[in-house]
Amino acid sequence: MTAAADLLPATRNALSLLLLSMADDEFVIGFSDSEWTGIAPLLEEDVAMSSIAQDEIGHARALYELLADVVADGRDADAWAYDRPPDGYYHARLLDHPRGDWADTIVRRYLYDTADAVRLDALAGSSFAPLRDLVGKLRREERYHLMHVEAWFERLARGGAEPRRRLLDALQRLGPDAGTVLTPLPTELALDMAGILAAPFPELEARWRASLAAAFGHLDLPPLPPTRDPGTARTTHSDAFRRLHEEFTLVRRIDPEATW
Amino acid sequence: MTDSPLPDRPADVDGLPALEAWEVFRREKEGDPMRHGGSVMAPDAVLAVHYARELFGRRGESAALWVVRRADIHELDDPDLLDPPLDRSFKKPGGYVMRDKLAAARERSGQAKPRPKTGGRPKADDARRPKADDR
Repeated sequence: MTAAADLLPATRNALSLLLLSMADDEFVIGFSDSEWTGIAPLLEEDVAMSSIAQDEIGHARALYELLADVVADGRDADAWAYDRPPDGYYHARLLDHPRGDWADTIVRRYLYDTADAVRLDALAGSSFAPLRDLVGKLRREERYHLMHVEAWFERLARGGAEPRRRLLDALQRLGPDAGTVLTPLPTELALDMAGILAAPFPELEARWRASLAAAFGHLDLPPLPPTRDPGTARTTHSDAFRRLHEEFTLVRRIDPEATW
Repeated sequence: MTDSPLPDRPADVDGLPALEAWEVFRREKEGDPMRHGGSVMAPDAVLAVHYARELFGRRGESAALWVVRRADIHELDDPDLLDPPLDRSFKKPGGYVMRDKLAAARERSGQAKPRPKTGGRPKADDARRPKADDR
């Protein structure tokens, strides 16, 4: 399938929800990580984290553009990104946590990037060509993001008493929401049937948990808990997200015609 | 990010290990030599490479990077060794013209004179002006 017009209505709906979840994930983590610009632990890391945050906003933009093509209701990428109320966003609850300290940010990135990598792997051979092509590009950049965050995750785990304590605290806060990135979408059956996604989400989540269990064992970290309240994995958002939303929609609300 | 050594952070302040300087060399495009690009501060080689990538490669401006711990560089800047006080101009190759010998050797071997690379600075009067490699 190379054009959205060729899709069956059920497939098109399911694909839209998948694209929306991925775009919102990338958009929200990109904005959250950009909150470190100017205050990261060292200058070089400030540049690195800001650059990675920019990459994620770029991924979100590409995904929103594809979403706009698939939904084809007249909304462009900016409208999808900025013109919804907070409850209209469909990102995983893992990304709803406030910025917190550096360990919170590293843990959030680590849990998200590892899960996102499994999701992207499952889309690399997608039957929908525009998504397959985009995923090929996203994976090339996400590879570096993963190397960067794994380096930090290991350094916090082995960096002495305080870094490790902060890492464990962050894992305690974020761990129960980690699985929300791969919690099944209500329409996923249509994705499997159309060959858009290589394996159902429960299988992807099991794969991700197995690889994480190995990494955690290696670093002597406690296992991740099961997902808390998976029924609202993407639908109930926190006050921290409402504040972030208030900020990232500010320019758009002041001047809807602004370009950047 | 600076060219002068920064004082290292004492170990374990805020849980951060001591930083040290790493020199970054970059190849702008395939076939170019490595050139010094600048330096980064990082606690170890892995992060140094990540930071070098962000500071000298994130806009696609480098085909390859070398990252070297500054402490591993052997430096020579002794003026007695590098800038001798007596006249050493006879060690420079400027007075030795080998254009005719080179042309004769090319004729014997049947090789044509190499064409200048495109994108370089060859001009119309190039043939008449001796170039460095013609001497």
